[in-house]
Amino acid sequence: MKLRNITAAGALALATACSGATTGASTSGTEAADLTLIPTTARATGSVAAVNWLLEDEPDSLDLDTQGGSAGRTVLGNVCERLYQLQPDMSVRPSLVRQAARPDATHLVLTLRDDVTFHDGSRMTADDVLFSLKRHAEPEMEQSDEFGNVSAMRKTGDHEITITFKQPDALFTKALAGDAGLVYNREQVEKAGEDFGTPGQSDACSGPYELSGWKSGDSITLTRADDYWGEQPLTGKVVFRWADDSAMVNALATGAADGTYADNIGTAAALRGKKGLDEHFGPSTSTLALIPTERGGLADPDIRKALSLALDRSGIAKSGYGGLVEPWATPVGSGAWGYAKDAFAAAQKQLTDAPAKPDAQDLAKAKELVKNAKKAPAEPIVIGTDSSQGRMVIANAVRAALTQIGLKGQIKTVPAAQYGEFYGDKEARADIDVLVADWYISKSDPFGFYDNGLSDSANNWVGFKSPEYDAKVAEGLRTLDDAKRAELAIDVQRRFADAAVWIPVAQMPTALVLDDKLTGPPASMAYLYYPWAAQLGAKKG
Amino acid sequence: MTAAITVDARLPVRRRPVLVIAGAAFLALVVLAAAFAPLLAPYAPDAVDLSASLVGTGGDHPLGTDASGQDLLSRVLYGARTSLIAPLALLAIAALLGVTLGTVAAWRGGWVDTLVSRVTDVMYAFPGLLFVVLIIAVFGAGITTSVLGLGLAFAPTIAKYTRSVALTERAKPYVDAYRVQGMGGVRICVRHLVPNLARSIVGYLVVLFGEALMSLATLSYLGFGSQPPSSDWGLMVQEGQAAIVQGALLPALVPGTAIAAVVVAFNVVGVWAADRLGARR
Repeated sequence: MKLRNITAAGALALATACSGATTGASTSGTEAADLTLIPTTARATGSVAAVNWLLEDEPDSLDLDTQGGSAGRTVLGNVCERLYQLQPDMSVRPSLVRQAARPDATHLVLTLRDDVTFHDGSRMTADDVLFSLKRHAEPEMEQSDEFGNVSAMRKTGDHEITITFKQPDALFTKALAGDAGLVYNREQVEKAGEDFGTPGQSDACSGPYELSGWKSGDSITLTRADDYWGEQPLTGKVVFRWADDSAMVNALATGAADGTYADNIGTAAALRGKKGLDEHFGPSTSTLALIPTERGGLADPDIRKALSLALDRSGIAKSGYGGLVEPWATPVGSGAWGYAKDAFAAAQKQLTDAPAKPDAQDLAKAKELVKNAKKAPAEPIVIGTDSSQGRMVIANAVRAALTQIGLKGQIKTVPAAQYGEFYGDKEARADIDVLVADWYISKSDPFGFYDNGLSDSANNWVGFKSPEYDAKVAEGLRTLDDAKRAELAIDVQRRFADAAVWIPVAQMPTALVLDDKLTGPPASMAYLYYPWAAQLGAKKG
Repeated sequence: MTAAITVDARLPVRRRPVLVIAGAAFLALVVLAAAFAPLLAPYAPDAVDLSASLVGTGGDHPLGTDASGQDLLSRVLYGARTSLIAPLALLAIAALLGVTLGTVAAWRGGWVDTLVSRVTDVMYAFPGLLFVVLIIAVFGAGITTSVLGLGLAFAPTIAKYTRSVALTERAKPYVDAYRVQGMGGVRICVRHLVPNLARSIVGYLVVLFGEALMSLATLSYLGFGSQPPSSDWGLMVQEGQAAIVQGALLPALVPGTAIAAVVVAFNVVGVWAADRLGARR
């Protein structure tokens, strides 16, 4: 027993002392204001035989209809193509669609490219496209909600598909730049049946790379598709492996891996300034936010606004995320500004209830709101989180903010594996008043987020109800004109912020960590839906 | 009772006392630090200062700060309270159950002994931490659940030990003498047998203390024990480990070292005490 105890205690101290650390106990974060977001990296000019790329975890499946996830998307963005393509600047343009027309507000006619070939050499046909769209729309598939407004999808020509809507749908073409627009080779998908997307199956796609191997538990390998219908990639082979945060830091720092899109911004923070690595940060729709729950501790909008006013967002950005996130006043990141960027940026600055660093005036206003609140909480407000560093810093900052405005906060942590249940299970969040959350939307349009504030939305946990808000969102989702939709989005954004339905904390950029001899891929969140490896190559030819 | 003392007194002191004295002095310091934490700590243990995140050792923060800017010295001082009191409570629960079961089994013998022995064998075979995690899954995370769960998990170990020493004690002539005088079994056990076992059991419990502290720290580290903003040492290690990849060792190293030092000190003192008290056989 003695030996076991001493050994265990010694091992704990040793592990603590030796786990990947190289320096003493002092780190300094980047100021958020120093961070410049760029859509893409400099163009590559030289070819590369192979690169080793890291993912946060192994994809559960490479069939994104049944298992969506950033690991799978990071791989498949290079293998499978979509009808539309999200660009590094987060705009959307036709891809496998040569031309799109809207004869009226409820019809979309897609004229398809006739020069696209799948990896098995067969031509992409309108039947393949129709099959793929109908597969995505099946109720049990991940993207089925994108087809809620669709009443019919028909092949109306050899290379033409016509989609009929129940009502105008402003976001549908943006959805077609996401997983709802993936085009599969019908024959291959049907041949694979339920095994489609599992190790050992072919990819049934038409992108610049083909899936040449998936050793479960070890690696996924993509090889340049020699017969690709578009421009040939500079990199011959991409080998994906997966690693947790500390292993990822070590692999990148030692050159064992060439790059990653870091899901955890802490990984990028740990690699700041490391020799041999470049870091690029790009726009994303991701944000850190506080989501009030059904429990009721934050049922009063004045209490929520008071908390928002007292929250030290700059401190959170620096302490929890090494300065790599930016204090933010809306619950959706700037990557959602796929159009009318200037208008959205100007509107963001008008929102004053989410200061980066609260001053005396903000705190006085917050205290006044608490004093006059109709439903001031009698019990401590329970803050739900897991124990990851960034979220713990937010939870502590929320507790400190609540103390400053005369309220009490109490933190409830759950293991990381259990944390995800807070989002989907009302029972799991029954004991918390507010969730420390991160959130992203797949479409580069703020309206892709603001439907979360609708009275009947499953994500409107706090029970915000406003018929005017609901009507504005419905109108925005029907408005096809970008400029007009931007006006509506800004109006809706203001209403959402006024009611503090969610409390925004910071926007989280996409972090690309790359060997300093490589360049080319996008730095923005577009990498999830874009053939980023096709742009990857050496800086010098 | 007298016989036991005589035997123990003849045991040789097997270890040079320097380490034991050092260990005991260190533990005394830890106890004092825990008792006077409010006077010694420069900050409140849960005071957040986001402008002082992950700073190194220095005048304002002698042991540095964690990611939330909480002072590590203050936290580790206050954390000593939880880290010492919780294992004590755990062992008290385990001892109450274990000594009762072990004494009953040894005294009654027969089917009672068989039943208690088989039940403790089964519990002994079940990994203690897994058992506690199951309890936590039902009753929820927290230091109270962890202490109660681990108290149950430790009880079989103490029951087995108690049974073995009680069987020897029960065979001694003074027990028969009390019986002849007409004293009942419960009275003999409570007033004479268990008090005579106390020295051995206490020695054994001192040795178990380190393991109890480690088990509780493990549960807090895994997120099942103390909850933030508690300055429980296991929780502090967990909260501090993410900073390691950022080059900040202290948030995990300070509480990790505290755990290691206290466990080692308890083992050194505990083994010595167990030898002296006749707990190691």
